[in-house]
Amino acid sequence: MPSELVEPTQSEAKRIDNARCLILACGNTLRSDDGVGPRLAEWAAERFREDPRVRVIARQQYTPDLAEDVAAADSVLFVDASVKSPAGRVRLTPVSSRSSAADQSSHELSPNQLLGLTRSLYGSIKSHAMLLTVGVGSTELGESFSQLVESAFPRARGVLEKAVLRFIAG
Amino acid sequence: MSQTITIDPVTRLEGHGKITIQLSAQGEVEAAHFHVTQVRGFERFSEGRPFYEMPSLMARICGICPVSHLIASAKACEAIMSVRIPHTAAQLRRMLNLAQMVQSHALSFFYLASPDLLLGMEADPNVRNILGVAAAKPELGRAGVGLRRFGQTIIELLGDKRVHPGWVVPGGVTEPLSPAKRDKILAMIPEAYANVALALGAYKQIAGAFKEEIEVFASFPTNYLSLINEDESIEFTDGTLRLVDSTGSIIEDGITAARFSEAMGEAVEPYSYTKFAYYKPLGYPAGSYRVGPLARLNIVKAMGTPRAEAELAEFKQLAPGLVESSFHYHHARLVEMLYGIEKIEEILADPRILGKHVRATAGVNRLEGAGQAEAPRGTLHHHYKVDDNGKITWANLVIATGQNNNAMNLGVLQAARHYVKNGKFTEGILNRVEAVVRTFDPCLSCSSHAAGQMPLEISLVSADGEVVDRVVRD
Repeated sequence: MPSELVEPTQSEAKRIDNARCLILACGNTLRSDDGVGPRLAEWAAERFREDPRVRVIARQQYTPDLAEDVAAADSVLFVDASVKSPAGRVRLTPVSSRSSAADQSSHELSPNQLLGLTRSLYGSIKSHAMLLTVGVGSTELGESFSQLVESAFPRARGVLEKAVLRFIAG
Repeated sequence: MSQTITIDPVTRLEGHGKITIQLSAQGEVEAAHFHVTQVRGFERFSEGRPFYEMPSLMARICGICPVSHLIASAKACEAIMSVRIPHTAAQLRRMLNLAQMVQSHALSFFYLASPDLLLGMEADPNVRNILGVAAAKPELGRAGVGLRRFGQTIIELLGDKRVHPGWVVPGGVTEPLSPAKRDKILAMIPEAYANVALALGAYKQIAGAFKEEIEVFASFPTNYLSLINEDESIEFTDGTLRLVDSTGSIIEDGITAARFSEAMGEAVEPYSYTKFAYYKPLGYPAGSYRVGPLARLNIVKAMGTPRAEAELAEFKQLAPGLVESSFHYHHARLVEMLYGIEKIEEILADPRILGKHVRATAGVNRLEGAGQAEAPRGTLHHHYKVDDNGKITWANLVIATGQNNNAMNLGVLQAARHYVKNGKFTEGILNRVEAVVRTFDPCLSCSSHAAGQMPLEISLVSADGEVVDRVVRD
């Protein structure tokens, strides 16, 4: 079972070591479109259920603790909502391990800061590191998605699947 | 004249706060206040809810120490039910609370405090953060991540969730511990020992470089309060409260949760939404006291586990009497982490921990109940009243940060007076003023029971009321 929508445990260490691709989603499922990352993570967990090379984690935010998990994977696909993109726009962009910390918080890191932290702590450099974003239309309180984001899911799932298959192929 | 200050944008506090430093006409510090600007709410909106919902509701106050709220709340509910929980359940809760303490202290020490300690108070704010620590001292960064994982994994194994586990309920816990989970926890112990030993060694090497900070970081005599066992050893989950004065003499001992509200009051100051707890017979502010790791180690006579015992003896050598400087909260946290690991190992060595009877049941047998526990930041007290149907009619929470509030304010003033001279200051000086608050590891969300963004604002105000400088962290 590759899905880990909660914290990994020690017993999973061996399988974690074997994971070639880590899907690391974040977002708040109680804030409408901000929950797009966890929603895509749920789909990915089902899609890659039988594939031990893929591991899925969904959190409300990226925290320093995740550096261990990132270090254990060959490649990482971050999945998040974007307030900078137009609602429903799906983008896949490379992530570098920039360690600059001008906007760094002890509670929340950006994907490139998390990669930078992973590199500093574990000397780990990823084969692939990409960020999949979906532009949000609403972040109001609620558990449903705006129409534009709901409509974007098929495309987002397709982009996610294609990226993961490419990552695990090396 | 206004100056521009670049300050590290990291919000290295668990909450939303503001510091104001008031200058005299001569540019000397006249007053300094630490404001908590969030609004309370949890006590009010719990009214009308069934009492048995309270643990899971109150845990939502905080994402760092929800376990403490779960436990204090469950104990208050058990007072309403008039039940005594099974031994196994009590030990499982104790282990859960210790696991939370370890992960919370690791967050405080490695993520929030270590940038100042390892990189220096004057270090470039752009690197004075966890990323800077990771680059400069990766072995310590890994130790911090490892200790966080240790605590969080135990919480998840026991409660199924890393944050806000629903496993602690009125009457005990919902599920016994399986041998497989016990063995998983035991397998993590050696690495946890190694990580905390690394941190203790590193801290002792660098602490000597902070003699000036030790002297002025809330370093003054106060009273102290914490839970303690009958054998005078440290306790986080049960026991009763002991209040001592600045010499260590007992002011009052054996304060049960039921007696807490008779002994302790809460004062209000106009500049903060967090209340100021005090011991009623001494009045406010004379009856103010400190809680948390420093208070606990000052009060107890023993840790009850061999490695932590040796560290306690060393800790008590830091000062001739009680250890007064709040800078030493950092050291105390490390000692407590070591204790937590040892105690968890000890609890798991007892085969009774696998017992199946882990919950007592009852309805409403009293219309009022109170519970208390030691949160990582200090004593936590929950007090509820219910109607005949068990619906909450009144609730009051006394949080560690409120109990440290007076000392934090005095500490900010002490540091500001020492460092800010003639109205002149640097980023490093303001960082030190902020670092005083950081030593207490306050949880401002807990203290005001509010949620949301958590910026910190520091204002320097001249004698005529003009804001000379202001730094805001979003």
